[in-house]
Amino acid sequence: MDKSTPITVESMPTASTPLTAETEAQVAQLAETDILVGIPSFNNVETIGHVVRAVSAGLAKYFPDARSVLVNSDGGSTDGTQQVVAQAVVDLKTLFVGDQQSPLHKIITPYHGIPGKGSAFRTIFEIARRLRAKACAVVDSDLRSITPEWLELLISPVLDQGHDYVAPYYLRHKYDGTITNSIVYPLTRTLYGHRIRQPIGGDFGFSGYLAQHYLDKHVWESEVARFGIDIWMTTEAIASGARVCQSFLGAKIHNPKDPAADLSAMLVQVLGAVFALMEEHYSVWSKLEGSKPVNLFGFQYEVGVEPVNVNVDRMISSFRQGLSDLSSIWEQILSAETLAGLRPLGTCALQEFRIVDSLWARIVYDAAISYHKGVMPREHLLKAFTPLYLGRTASFVLDTQGLTSAEAEGRIEMLCHAFEKDKSYLVSRWIHDSTNA
Amino acid sequence: MKEFWEKGLLDPLELLARQILSVLPSILAMSIIFAAGLLVAWTASQTLERLLRVVGLDRLCDRLGITSALLRGGVKTDPSRLVGQAAYWLVMIFATVAALGALNLQPINDVAKSFLAYVPHLVTAGLILIAGWLLSNFVSQAVLIAAVNAGLPPARLVATCSRWGIQLLAVAMALEQLGIAQNIVVVGFGITLGGIVLAGAIAFGLGSKDLAKDYIERGLSIRSRERGTDDLRHL
Repeated sequence: MDKSTPITVESMPTASTPLTAETEAQVAQLAETDILVGIPSFNNVETIGHVVRAVSAGLAKYFPDARSVLVNSDGGSTDGTQQVVAQAVVDLKTLFVGDQQSPLHKIITPYHGIPGKGSAFRTIFEIARRLRAKACAVVDSDLRSITPEWLELLISPVLDQGHDYVAPYYLRHKYDGTITNSIVYPLTRTLYGHRIRQPIGGDFGFSGYLAQHYLDKHVWESEVARFGIDIWMTTEAIASGARVCQSFLGAKIHNPKDPAADLSAMLVQVLGAVFALMEEHYSVWSKLEGSKPVNLFGFQYEVGVEPVNVNVDRMISSFRQGLSDLSSIWEQILSAETLAGLRPLGTCALQEFRIVDSLWARIVYDAAISYHKGVMPREHLLKAFTPLYLGRTASFVLDTQGLTSAEAEGRIEMLCHAFEKDKSYLVSRWIHDSTNA
Repeated sequence: MKEFWEKGLLDPLELLARQILSVLPSILAMSIIFAAGLLVAWTASQTLERLLRVVGLDRLCDRLGITSALLRGGVKTDPSRLVGQAAYWLVMIFATVAALGALNLQPINDVAKSFLAYVPHLVTAGLILIAGWLLSNFVSQAVLIAAVNAGLPPARLVATCSRWGIQLLAVAMALEQLGIAQNIVVVGFGITLGGIVLAGAIAFGLGSKDLAKDYIERGLSIRSRERGTDDLRHL
């Protein structure tokens, strides 16, 4: 992004996000800052202390001369999260940090608006705007693996290298993040032409200009405010022409999510956000061909990742039930050829079960087109996608059994090529269906 | 002879002629009203149909799944035309009633009055049926998807039951609105629904005792074991 003409910020009036009187007073007192680190939270008493200490140590160690502010944007925690943030201190001497020039200011504030991570971010962006922060970062409050180095990796590319957006690059198990691997990464890369490996990572660095650009977008009363903020930030950064890069953060270990969390609800959130953004940025992605690598900062190393157990039989059985019971719905979502490609999988031997890359790309494209065309209530469409996704995940597991993580990554690369190769199908059907509509 | 000619033959004929002449304006008025009704009905239906096409009713119905549901029910006409046709027949019904009223005959007037008083009930019943049908389609699709995602083997049966349950309720409400055998409808609906629930309970509790046992056991224990062996993180 060209700093001399920051993304229409000057020309667009910005509706001010409400802050509490106490926060307003703190912001007025601070007046300006160089770095702002935001931590959204809701009942994270177990982990947020570690995150705050890592942030404090990282800022002291790597940016000792910079004026820094830590903002905890809380959704009404009742477990003492805010007290832990206020009291968290780190002994800098044990980290060989002694020359910190500027003390870290903490702003602990509730956020207004629709409950969700997006609204928490909006408050963080607003404080960044008012303090005219040069570089910002947001990190999740349930992280167990965050280290002070993360701060350097997320902020230095902005402060020192002139980038506007820093996406995280984690080391993950080959079966960790399967929605990212099989849908979000290949689709985002194909659509917007940037190979950002973790577009919904959750921990990002960004410039003050980009924070203001985000604030100017009128999405804060939509689903983005509730969920989908991660993919929205990444997509919006690329689509606005911001300079994007990645930073290698090592392994990401965070508090386990509720194991009973509904997979179809996850798909509704993530896939719904990606498809909705496709509609908004059609003019951007329809013209792009291929993809280009994105700068990756940080020292890369191998690390042992937590093993992931997978029940392939259950996933295949879920896919087959979908093929049998949801056929009338899939007929509306998928093209006849795509559905014909799936039918043999209803009866084949378990070890021969494969949804090949080209077929999977078609399935995702057909779903995106049907979402755009509105062939049925969108939540139904996204939920009916669950057995298809489980089928593809089972196929990927069968395909990569015994492969190392690097080799499995090679398979994901092949999948991305299949998506890119078939992009013309998506563009032509998107135009054709829009014209018909 | 002359008296017979005048009183016996000409007088009745004159009376008949007078009667015909007195009714003629009414018949003429009836014809004019009916013709005007035809014209208004045709114009209204054409205008409405075109207007609905312009505002995109067909696209909306596509999106809501109404068009595909109509196709499944054998209706190949698009929704805009259907609404246009409905408007045509509604205007024609009113025009016919008004035209018959122009004859000013007491029995016809009485029938017309009671029919007009009944129209709001007909419209309400129609709306209840349409809403029930749309709701049943939406709910059964949602139930089917949720049941498949939950891995329930009788997903289609559950979805079909939800569809018919809602449609049955809509029909019962519509019949009650029309005042057709109100008590019988309420009692019949209660008995049917109660019977279904009881039959289901007996079938599941006695006939499928082992299945029920397996199902509950799976729900309580095996699910947790499965979770223990599948800790895939999707995001």
